[in-house]
Amino acid sequence: MAFNVPDVKPLIEDGFVGEAGKRALQYIQTKRAAGMPVAGIYCGYAPMEVIRAVGAVPAILCAFANKTIAAAEAVLPANLCPLIKSSYGFIITDTCPFFGISDAVVAETTCDGKKKMFELISEHKPMFVMDLPQLPDEKEALVNWAVMITKLQGFLEKTFEKSATPEGIEAEIKATNIKNRLMNRVFDYGARKPSLLKWSETYELAFLAQVATTEDLQPIFQEVFKTLEEREAKGVHYGTASAPRVLVTGCPVGGDSTKVYKIIEEAGGVVVAMDSCTGMKPFMTEIEENTGDPIAAVAARYLQLPCSCMTPNTRRLDELDRTIARFQPDVVIEVVLHACHSYNIESYKIMNHAKNKHNLPYLKIETDYSDGDVEQIRTRVEALFDSLLLQNEVAERKGNVF
Amino acid sequence: MTTTLGLDIGSRTIKLVVLESGAIVLTRKALTSYDPLAVCRELLHDAPTGPLVATGYGRHLVKEYLHCETISEIKAFAVGARAVFPSCRTILDIGGQDTKAISLTEDGRIDKFHMNDKCAAGTGRFLEIMATALGLSLGDFMTEAMSAEASHPINSMCTVFAESEVISTIARGIARPAIARGIHQAIAARAVSLLERVSITEDILFAGGVALNRCMQKEIENKLNRKVHAPAYPQIIGALGCALIAEKKS
Repeated sequence: MAFNVPDVKPLIEDGFVGEAGKRALQYIQTKRAAGMPVAGIYCGYAPMEVIRAVGAVPAILCAFANKTIAAAEAVLPANLCPLIKSSYGFIITDTCPFFGISDAVVAETTCDGKKKMFELISEHKPMFVMDLPQLPDEKEALVNWAVMITKLQGFLEKTFEKSATPEGIEAEIKATNIKNRLMNRVFDYGARKPSLLKWSETYELAFLAQVATTEDLQPIFQEVFKTLEEREAKGVHYGTASAPRVLVTGCPVGGDSTKVYKIIEEAGGVVVAMDSCTGMKPFMTEIEENTGDPIAAVAARYLQLPCSCMTPNTRRLDELDRTIARFQPDVVIEVVLHACHSYNIESYKIMNHAKNKHNLPYLKIETDYSDGDVEQIRTRVEALFDSLLLQNEVAERKGNVF
Repeated sequence: MTTTLGLDIGSRTIKLVVLESGAIVLTRKALTSYDPLAVCRELLHDAPTGPLVATGYGRHLVKEYLHCETISEIKAFAVGARAVFPSCRTILDIGGQDTKAISLTEDGRIDKFHMNDKCAAGTGRFLEIMATALGLSLGDFMTEAMSAEASHPINSMCTVFAESEVISTIARGIARPAIARGIHQAIAARAVSLLERVSITEDILFAGGVALNRCMQKEIENKLNRKVHAPAYPQIIGALGCALIAEKKS
């Protein structure tokens, strides 16, 4: 799969094309050199507005490489999610540069595996574990989560010897909203038929946009929109018009598990929507402004994140409806990391929702960060696309197969 | 006269079908081995020539060497199954490392399909290892299972764990035929659960190497309470589908 014309200018044209991690690392190192403390984060529930209001720069910690899993399995059970094993392996082998430059780590009680892994790494850096309510619709959930965010603020202020004001948090709320609107303008180009974006471009931009401030992103956004407008004017698009449009949902996909995106492309599909924490999810909702209680506003927004650790996670189905309406996929592919029980069990609901409500074929891929299952995944993805094409092909011949 | 070829490069065996004017004139089969490309060349070297389409795990490997088109197994089996059995609506294929269930619409379009995951539990390879654990050839394994008066359930479906379970079952003095029957029933149950994920509509075609196993066919029939048709040459369905597609393209 490729652009319809050769030599298309990359969306972010710098020395880091294809290297989202290195680009983010350079950004964070620059900020750190300018005296900003670094807050390592593992999850989309980390309240970025508070981290920024305290004057820190967030760093997404390494969690997506197979190479550190063997080291992790000396301590952790093999039958554990690769994201957790990889994260832990990076810490004990001291190979995550983001962790190395982090002054503190923000953690959340999302799933059991992460919760217990955090205990094991807590001695390495100052760490604050936020108790995440998992029944988001209970009225206490919002109150408790706001308390946790206030406590996090206190921890960061004390650890970094800095302070945040309500006005500062309010300003960060507004900045996040501006950023999210701009990100959604980019996603809209992916929603075009055919799409103007390659999946890795959206992935890379999302990677940077999670750590960089809205202000620092402005020149990049200007360039991005200029590039996209040029593509539009020249009729540049990604993949063929008839290529199956794929909505990928489920667990975070990054680093070694992007093999799934690559396989989808090699099989002739175009990934038009990435419904995960490493894709569009962090940018899909806005935070209420000028409420007079910015902590509560931040708390309310993060509780809306449709993670499978929540129950019931009805927001995910609602979000899926909106994403399907917006991106017009031909198929839904769910990526479930091994031993991620919550996404794995929830996949049954997603499958039924995709098939019954939207009449879309659905494929679940359970995988890890190794490349041992690449050919098996390829067979299943190719068969899925073939079944779409074959349906059309045979239908034209009205039952006369031979 | 059009001559076309279909090649199915499976995980355990490679199958070749040659069609001339729509009729099968040659079928060949060989073990995949560590060098599937060499095996393909051996199968092809004195076969009639013509447009070739390949499927199976090794299809990408041979694509550039044999200058052929490739298609997925789902497509190959859907087309091949309707050729040998025009009223087929549901296909169960148990091969060396894959189990597939495909449902077809009345006019032969693919409706749904489901495959096992990466794990080879309940596939042909699983049967081979269980037969070896019982000290039996595949043929004797089937015959013993069919002759069993009782059945001893096997619970593990992981090949490695199931082998341990079989060994400990032998150690407990359970009769070999009962264990063999239990293994067949366990695989049949897994195949039926896969079939249930697609809609099961008659007629049902059983393809792949495991369809040679009459005991498996009977166990699946018992569980489904429906007739399951195993064609005379169940292993060539994929290669036949390829040759038919090559014919359409030529």
